[in-house]
Amino acid sequence: DSDIQKKIDHEIRMRDGACKLLAACSQRDQALEAAKSLQTCSTRIMAYMSELQRMKEAQVMQNVPRSDAGPMDGRLPCKGKVAISLRIPLMWKDTEYFKNKGNEASPGFELRVELYSCCSEDDYSAGSTPRKLASKLSSSLGRSAGKKLRAAMEPGACSPVSNGGAAPLLLPVPSVGPKYHLLAHTTLSLSHVQDSFRTHDFTISGNECSYWLPLYGSMCCRLAAQPHCMTQRMMGGWLKVKQCGGDPQTWTKVYAVLKATSLFCYQRQEDVEANVEPALTIGINKETRIRASEKDPHSKGQNICISNRYGGEEVTHTLNTESREDTHRWMEAFWQHFYDMQWRQCCDDLMKIELPSPRKPAPVTPKQGSLYHEMIESSDDLTSTVSDILARRMQELELRSQLGTSPTWMSVFEENCPKSTGLSFRPCSSRLSGHSPHSPHCLPSRSPVSPHRRPQLGLLASDASLTSDSDSHCSTSPCCRRHGWPEPSSNFPLLSSSPSRLRPRTLSLDAKLSTLRGRGYGGGGTFQCSCQPPSSSLLAPLPAASRSPLSQRSTQTTLSCSSSTSSNSSSNSEGSHSPESSEGGPFSRPSPARRSLRNLRARLDPRNWLQSQV
Amino acid sequence: LPAQDQPAGKPVTAVVQKIEIQKLRQGDNLILGFSIGGGIDQDPGQNPFSEDKSDKGIYVTRITPGGPAEVADLRVGDKIMQVNGWDMTVVTHDQARKKLTKKKEEVVRLLITRKSLEEAVKHSKGCHPRQ
Repeated sequence: DSDIQKKIDHEIRMRDGACKLLAACSQRDQALEAAKSLQTCSTRIMAYMSELQRMKEAQVMQNVPRSDAGPMDGRLPCKGKVAISLRIPLMWKDTEYFKNKGNEASPGFELRVELYSCCSEDDYSAGSTPRKLASKLSSSLGRSAGKKLRAAMEPGACSPVSNGGAAPLLLPVPSVGPKYHLLAHTTLSLSHVQDSFRTHDFTISGNECSYWLPLYGSMCCRLAAQPHCMTQRMMGGWLKVKQCGGDPQTWTKVYAVLKATSLFCYQRQEDVEANVEPALTIGINKETRIRASEKDPHSKGQNICISNRYGGEEVTHTLNTESREDTHRWMEAFWQHFYDMQWRQCCDDLMKIELPSPRKPAPVTPKQGSLYHEMIESSDDLTSTVSDILARRMQELELRSQLGTSPTWMSVFEENCPKSTGLSFRPCSSRLSGHSPHSPHCLPSRSPVSPHRRPQLGLLASDASLTSDSDSHCSTSPCCRRHGWPEPSSNFPLLSSSPSRLRPRTLSLDAKLSTLRGRGYGGGGTFQCSCQPPSSSLLAPLPAASRSPLSQRSTQTTLSCSSSTSSNSSSNSEGSHSPESSEGGPFSRPSPARRSLRNLRARLDPRNWLQSQV
Repeated sequence: LPAQDQPAGKPVTAVVQKIEIQKLRQGDNLILGFSIGGGIDQDPGQNPFSEDKSDKGIYVTRITPGGPAEVADLRVGDKIMQVNGWDMTVVTHDQARKKLTKKKEEVVRLLITRKSLEEAVKHSKGCHPRQ
């Protein structure tokens, strides 16, 4: 009891420290780390509090006299070690892997996996952004989500380990600083324990921030559990064994150890440690029947009969103990063992739980040629920027296109790819909310129509809130004028267009984002989770410029298509670049390679068949 | 190519069905509850629903469960031929969208064609040789 209280106090101190750090730090990375600590500390505190609550309740319950106490009352199944390793497929990165080293739990445990992310919304200067975004998101996701898992799993030996949402305690949250938002969650329990990887559905939180991060809606995990009855020796002692059907007088003295699914009988006690093969192994599993018989006239103690069915045959072993007490102890042990079989499938075979090695790289997958693979792999050392990667990529692909092979990563976006079926892509909701009051352009905020949609197959479709007054408002809303890609001349629609056909005002992902940020947070310097940008914009920097003249009024109102955010910048700045450098926030740094990068990104946009919601 | 420069559409014969959808008001918007893809300015090869991969028509790509379109029995894969009398076979993507989202209209009457319709008709023709 006091143990938990100490833990709570410790976490509270940690949390205060994190708050102070958050208020004081100026570096982005520091802030992110501090926010993470804050989140995890808070969660731990909540969990400990609810744990404490439960214990108090249990105490109260115990004091209440119970009328009919059965033989099993008060008996608890053994605890076990539960560990999870999971991977979450992400849109820009193949997967993110997490591993947890294992926590104590009882069979009724509930493991709540929550995925948090924090948007780092500044640093959107062209060129450097995607690298930073990718690495920040991936690392913050990796570390924070990893830690979140640990935090969620840590509290004590008792289940459930859910986020103590029931705790009435309200912890003050600092108003500044990066905030982590719950994107998705799922709850796992004993029935999900399996020795292999399984796919589970994520419940997407459906808040604004979920749209920002394109999750496929599922995660793969291996939830392993090692109940103690499988790993520890539950009972040991000297017994005499005879086999039924044989000479009633032939007893063999053995040192028996009850562990996992068997009673191992050794000739000598030393053999147990010496890893010598047991002389006899009697299966003890859920099919086994054990009963104590009447006192054997030929021996001192009582007999215990263990019956198993092997195939069609029933085999019975009879044990004899030295004394009554021994018999009792053994029977107790067997009863407990059966009770422990509440761990069900975990008692069939021992599941391995590896201790995660300190800095284990993600499992090596065969090089799929995924652009995003490459992005992440390169971002490990943070030396090359995405623009470099993309440039290299373009060259490779152009070479290959001449040879007639199709880039493999395009298949992710093809509708017939078997990989994409079965994945439920969570479409993003794009909207603009909040705008700088001195913006000359009309900016009504519209709420998304419905955040929960499942598009067909693997097509990327965006849910955009549509204004049906596009006709009345503006002569041409910008997205009307945005056309899809120039028609492909070959099989590679992304690559075939020559640069001359690209519009001059092709704006890139980061430009959109920074514009949005700039508009949304004219003040700059404050960290707020920006929920505006659709996750589509992460992937689809469509060329924004239009051929026809745009009315000055028509700008950010209609976001009818994917990456519609591109429209506002282009329409605002007819002749000039969008103000991404000026409004990017305190950490933005303009990059010299902006234009070529934009072109590259525009050409690499895999989404070139528009869909509109009506 | 802009609409005026597009080559003329090929004459089309199709089995069509009328579908009338009452728009649903959601806040400021009137919605139909489906998504469209296609258009003469779009790459028809990307259309997963069309049989003819040079078909630049407007197709229904998604239906909101429980939405007005679903209620009216519009289906994914339907090709929209007309909206309230306006042709949809030779329009840009955005022109199509606009025809469907006129604020003053609360009902859209679509003429759609779908493969299963053609199949059904063909089948029924086959069963009744005397046509």
